[in-house]
Amino acid sequence: MRSLALTVAAAALLALAAVAALQLVVPRAPPSAAEQARAIAAELRCPDCQALSVAESRTAAAAAIRAEIAEQLAAGRSANEIRQHFVARYGDWILLTPTDPLAWWLPPVALFAGAALFGWWWIRGRRSSVAAPARPVSDADRRRVRDAAEALDD
Amino acid sequence: MSARGGLLRWVAVPLLVVPVTWLLFTGLGRDPRDIPSPLVGKPLPAFAATTLEGEEFSSQALAGRPALINVWASWCDPCIDEHPLLLAAARAYAGELSVIGIVHHDSADGARGFLARYGDGGWPDLLDPSDRIAIDLGVIFPPETYFVDASGIVRYRHLGPLTEEVLAQQLAALGLDR
Amino acid sequence: MIATLGHVAVVVGLAATLFAAAAFALAARDDDRGQAALGRRAMIAAFGLAALACVAMVTLLLTHDFSVRYVARNNATTTPPFYSVISLWAALEGSILFWTLLATGWAALVLHRYRDRAPTLMPWVGVTLALVAAFFFAVMAWPGDPFVRITPVGAEGNGPNALLQNHPFMGLHPPLLYLGYTGLAVPFAFGVAALVTRRTDEAWLGIVRRWTLVPWIFLTAGIVAGAWWSYAVLGWGGYWAWDPVENAALLPWLTATAFIHSSMVAERRGTLRVWAHALVIATFVLTLVGTFLTRSGIVQSVHSFTASAIGPWFAVAIVATLTVALGLLVWRMPDLRDTRPPGGTVSREGAFLFNNVLFLGLTFAVLFGTLYPLIVDVTSGQRISVGAPWFNRVNAPIFVALLFLMGVGPALPWGGARWSTIRERFLVPALVGAGLVVGGWAIGLREMAPLVMLGLAAFVVTAMGDEVVRGARARARSRGENPPTAAWRLATRNRRRYGGYLVHTGVCVMAVAVAVSATLASDVTATVSPGESVSLGAYTVSYDSLVIERLPEDPRVTETRAELTLSGPQSGRLAPALRDYPNSTTPIATPTVRTAIGEDLYVTLLAYDPADRSVTLHLFVNPLVVWIWVGGAIVALGAAFAVWPEPRRRPLPAEAVA
Repeated sequence: MRSLALTVAAAALLALAAVAALQLVVPRAPPSAAEQARAIAAELRCPDCQALSVAESRTAAAAAIRAEIAEQLAAGRSANEIRQHFVARYGDWILLTPTDPLAWWLPPVALFAGAALFGWWWIRGRRSSVAAPARPVSDADRRRVRDAAEALDD
Repeated sequence: MSARGGLLRWVAVPLLVVPVTWLLFTGLGRDPRDIPSPLVGKPLPAFAATTLEGEEFSSQALAGRPALINVWASWCDPCIDEHPLLLAAARAYAGELSVIGIVHHDSADGARGFLARYGDGGWPDLLDPSDRIAIDLGVIFPPETYFVDASGIVRYRHLGPLTEEVLAQQLAALGLDR
Repeated sequence: MIATLGHVAVVVGLAATLFAAAAFALAARDDDRGQAALGRRAMIAAFGLAALACVAMVTLLLTHDFSVRYVARNNATTTPPFYSVISLWAALEGSILFWTLLATGWAALVLHRYRDRAPTLMPWVGVTLALVAAFFFAVMAWPGDPFVRITPVGAEGNGPNALLQNHPFMGLHPPLLYLGYTGLAVPFAFGVAALVTRRTDEAWLGIVRRWTLVPWIFLTAGIVAGAWWSYAVLGWGGYWAWDPVENAALLPWLTATAFIHSSMVAERRGTLRVWAHALVIATFVLTLVGTFLTRSGIVQSVHSFTASAIGPWFAVAIVATLTVALGLLVWRMPDLRDTRPPGGTVSREGAFLFNNVLFLGLTFAVLFGTLYPLIVDVTSGQRISVGAPWFNRVNAPIFVALLFLMGVGPALPWGGARWSTIRERFLVPALVGAGLVVGGWAIGLREMAPLVMLGLAAFVVTAMGDEVVRGARARARSRGENPPTAAWRLATRNRRRYGGYLVHTGVCVMAVAVAVSATLASDVTATVSPGESVSLGAYTVSYDSLVIERLPEDPRVTETRAELTLSGPQSGRLAPALRDYPNSTTPIATPTVRTAIGEDLYVTLLAYDPADRSVTLHLFVNPLVVWIWVGGAIVALGAAFAVWPEPRRRPLPAEAVA
């Protein structure tokens, strides 16, 4: 029974790893012009909307910008060049994501710093605990208590 | 707890409160709709289009004189408010200031109707059906006005309807005096 | 006359709340029940006065009294009665009035319910709630008077903002949201009271649990209703744009959720107590910040109204609240040390701690993203944007981690877990999760987000199901009941735990639905003449005719409708429209949505040509969208189940004899 469970577990993990590998490693077809255009349009802000991207918005301004993107792509410009093309005309404001690297690494750094802070405080709390255990608790005790607790209310 | 540890934690209060206060109060003084144009200080991009009268117009024609480029539309209510100011400025500085209009997201008939109703200052109004000019100028939403000096450098971009003060200020900056 | 009455009610309300605050302060100092009763009655009176002012405003709106500026700006003679009534909260001053009504309502309710209990805490709870209500009355008495008059009186009003009279959800979303916002002042007040009176043991947490969960339910429902409304009304086919005001509603929700979790630990294990207090303070401050962001004009947003004089008042209130509350917390920090040592790291406490870290990470990210353009503008004068792509990219990993934790946390025992326990508890759920990912991939699903979410959701649901089944079996065995009865009995006797399971299930449903609808949606835009049709996937939409007419219920509005016939997995007639409102230069889209279990067909009319009757249509097929709303409902139901009074009486934690 145990070896069957282990075999099934191993098989599942292998299958998962295979899927992950195929997804990430096998090269996919290069994006079509339409897909490329859409990706660039999704990063530009629609000038006469509140918070929509050029890809999502259906205003005349967005349609014109999409046409311009298609034209630029056909002329062989890269995604970066096209973005800069619009930044030169509208300002940094037209990009939906900030170019400043600070905006990208600050949240993860803050998260890790917060986690580290919490972790340090947690470990310090464990060291200087207010109440020390009175006597060692045996495994049998633990099991009894856990079983009893599970059978009762939370 | 040591005195040092006891006092140290009080740092948390100003550490949090001061930046929040600063941010809230300085933020109140800003208008989030006031977006600066990257064209300011740079040469006006070249453009050419057909006017409402059917003639060809090129931005080359603006060279040598200060110019005022007004982006407008017949469906734009604030454009109605600023139109008399434009008419007055065009009259007052005729010969010294070039005034042109760019019709934005509008039909030729709609634009002509606006001019018939609110007054035609006689300056060229360019049709921009594919938004070519609008994109090159970075037009966000009409009304918008660009002030260009005699050497073709964009000096200022005004968002929203023009006011007396802004007009007077910017025209003075272009070297035109009342 | 009515307007004057309303204004007088506001001014008297201000006096009543200030009086209540003073009475409660005296009651606290002298331990005087009589003073506390006086304060309580004053707060109930304040609620009555706020109600009076609201009734006055609604009357003014229904009778189209344009001598009052608020009515002139937000109402017209042709506004239907339903929209007149809900215009109470349609714009700035009215929404503050509505807020005050709800805030005094919550205050009166909690003060009345606890009039004979927790005598040490209640006076300070009263002071806090009275001062909060006094602030809102003061805003209405000075900078934001809803009853201010104008002369000359026009014959016709402006009418409500076009976007706000398009859909009946306008009657649902703000009230739900405001009930949530205002209700969260109550746990804050208890937190402050606990700090001031040094009663920072588990008592306040036990009391506050219900008073946090109920507003949380409203806030959750309000946010989901807002997403649904924006989906049904705005016409771009999406439901969440990380707009500053959407974020403003999300921020207190994030900290409130973190608080609910950390208070569980604080109550039972005596740890994370500082964080519980910090979170309840943060939640309330964020509700004020949210209102500030929405109303001050400080960020550009869908909801933004022109900058008003109210901004500085809110800014001062936020700074003052933060300073006082934070100061209190720091002062009493020595009281908040752990009463018991925290257990091992791989334990339920550890999971809760990690949960808090992640929620705070999310809160920081959303707050940062919303305020970053402002910070950059103020420091360098540059204008930048932070939009959906940034928020999605930064928040996605945190959401994934949270989802994983949702499966792991509740299954870990308190105090610590051994490897054997972990293996035993999580092997099957992990297998099911992995199996679903592989299965999904096998049937052709290649997008990362849905695959990951599917696997995680399966993991979580299986882990929870495992717990439920084991518990039911144990109970059935020991009590001789059949498993379903055992499960039900177990659930109703452990409402918190099982309510939590239901909430987590709802979250899983929403996670999968969001991941699928965001990545697997398809759309097409086409211009068609009468008789032509456009296809998307298995659907075909044929364009019959264009109808232009005035709305019978509001003749000032002209509706241009494209009559369409739909065929495919769903069929019938569709009529997306564009409405021209007199007070709006651009027409407002009224999309049609056909909802089925698996997907929505969504059609917007983008443009029309009255000359040749051609129309431009935008069609979407949005898969699983209805499950977002269903998931939201499950979350609300789960929390309601958790908070439902238990049939058996539980003794309240005894207040230590003073």
